Amino acid sequence: MRNLRNAAIAAFAVLLTCLIQPVLSAPADLPRETVEADVSTRSVSITSGFTGMEIIIFGTVENSRQPSAEAGTYDVVVVVEGTTAPAVVRKKARVGGLWINSQSMRFASFPAYYAIASTRPIDEIADADLLTKNEIGFKHINMKPAGRASIGFSETADAQDFRLAVLRLKQRDGLYVKSDYGVGFIGRSLFRSTITLPPNVPVGPLTARVYLLRDGQLLSSYTSKVTMERAGVERFLHDAAFERPLLYGIAMIVLAALAGLSAAFAFSRISA
Amino acid sequence: MHVYLPIAEMPVNVLVFLGLGAAVGFLSGLFGVGGGFLLTPLLIFLGIPPAVAVGTGAAHIVASSVSGAFTQYQRNNVDFKMGVVMMAGGLAGTLIGVEVVRLLRKAGQFDLALYLIYVTFLGVIGSLMMIESLNAWRKIKAGSAGRTRKSGQHSWVDGLPLKMRFHRSKLYISAVPPAVIGMFIGFLAAIMGIGGGFVMIPAMIYLLRMPASVVVGTSLFQIVFVAAFAVLLHAVQNRTVDIVLALLLISGGVLGAQFGALSGEKLRGEQMRILLAGLVLIVAVRMAVDLVVTPEELFSFSGVQGGR
Repeated sequence: MRNLRNAAIAAFAVLLTCLIQPVLSAPADLPRETVEADVSTRSVSITSGFTGMEIIIFGTVENSRQPSAEAGTYDVVVVVEGTTAPAVVRKKARVGGLWINSQSMRFASFPAYYAIASTRPIDEIADADLLTKNEIGFKHINMKPAGRASIGFSETADAQDFRLAVLRLKQRDGLYVKSDYGVGFIGRSLFRSTITLPPNVPVGPLTARVYLLRDGQLLSSYTSKVTMERAGVERFLHDAAFERPLLYGIAMIVLAALAGLSAAFAFSRISA
Repeated sequence: MHVYLPIAEMPVNVLVFLGLGAAVGFLSGLFGVGGGFLLTPLLIFLGIPPAVAVGTGAAHIVASSVSGAFTQYQRNNVDFKMGVVMMAGGLAGTLIGVEVVRLLRKAGQFDLALYLIYVTFLGVIGSLMMIESLNAWRKIKAGSAGRTRKSGQHSWVDGLPLKMRFHRSKLYISAVPPAVIGMFIGFLAAIMGIGGGFVMIPAMIYLLRMPASVVVGTSLFQIVFVAAFAVLLHAVQNRTVDIVLALLLISGGVLGAQFGALSGEKLRGEQMRILLAGLVLIVAVRMAVDLVVTPEELFSFSGVQGGR
């Protein structure tokens, strides 16, 4: 009898331990959350009819511990970046009554296009160090000044002015866009975000980066590529202009001359 | 209806640019001017990068001047020898002009230079046209037609070497002045995206003393080649010729020019000339204002090559 009672107690204890244990030691043993994501469109074609397009970035939190879509356990940040290209930024100053470009700063690179969407404003999601390290947010984009310009110029107030100007100009042109609540959860683990590529988006491959965070800590990230290329007539003309400029120029002249001549012919027939 | 421009790298409304081509073509048909001096600023106002506006404008000039030159050729109004001499200067001037465009773009001062040159030329030409047409209108109203011109004057032009006989123009003059005029116009054409007829025709009449009958045909003949050369150089050196934009403008332009030429036969010349002068002055003022008024944004971007 005693053995039986002891066995029952032991069994009960084991059962209880089994029930309580996950709650007590959860962080240590539960599988880590990771993020998996993808982009609705893997390749974007710029044709002569291109007037911008929307791409959807969706993904899922593996091993989500979020009780519901509204719980807000996780933060997700989606960044879509265009290729980086060198550019010159110029500042006008008044010279003898006229506004003339006087100062300039050459940047070795900054993304031609940058779209960011997040579950809430990024400043609330994580601290500046993490954002800078991962280039999340306009303020944290790495803008490298080009060789000569960077000497003795890097941390001056002027350089900061030029950086801010880049952000302002890019936002004005609709090429740097942010959406503070642009990522939404659907259910416990599924999320999605819509990014709009404007009609003037610079042509070149895009990189989509997805970050999963909880309590200001980066849990996981995922990177995906989207190709963006000119297609059809658009591609043919652009390639011709840049790779065979002489032929392109001659073709332009011939077409223009033919148009002019045919108009003259047609008109002389009509008026004669 | 939109189409994406391969060089300007932006989608544009087809109808707007067909309409712009037609409107400028109409004016050029009406007044017998090339219209480049209106087209380039209007393209810039519509958001086309200035360098692309200039390169593409040159292609538009090829089309409109071929059309006019052909008509003049049929009427035997072209002095080919004079045209070739001017063209030689014109090609050299274009070469220099396109190189200057490249250097100015590199220095970030092309837009400024373009605006300054435009304001100066449009301001001067617009004022002269306005004064001249107002006077002509007043004379017509007063009932005294006809004008007197001094002829047989000799000037410093006669003292220059390399004298050539130009049969069609009935001239025996040095080849230097026509070549220099051609070169100056070629230089302007390359920088401003114009044909330069509005500068060249007065120069041919008053400096070279060519007979009025061959002036227009000869000027158009050489503009065809100079503009074609400018297209080629802009395409090769600056990559700023947008073929889609050019074809839109040309399609609208050739139609507009025919209607303009038809209307020109019916409308009163002097009043229309006052309108044209007014239009030229408005464009000049608008460009001058852009130079002087404090811009909303002091900073600007430029890419390393191509349209942007």
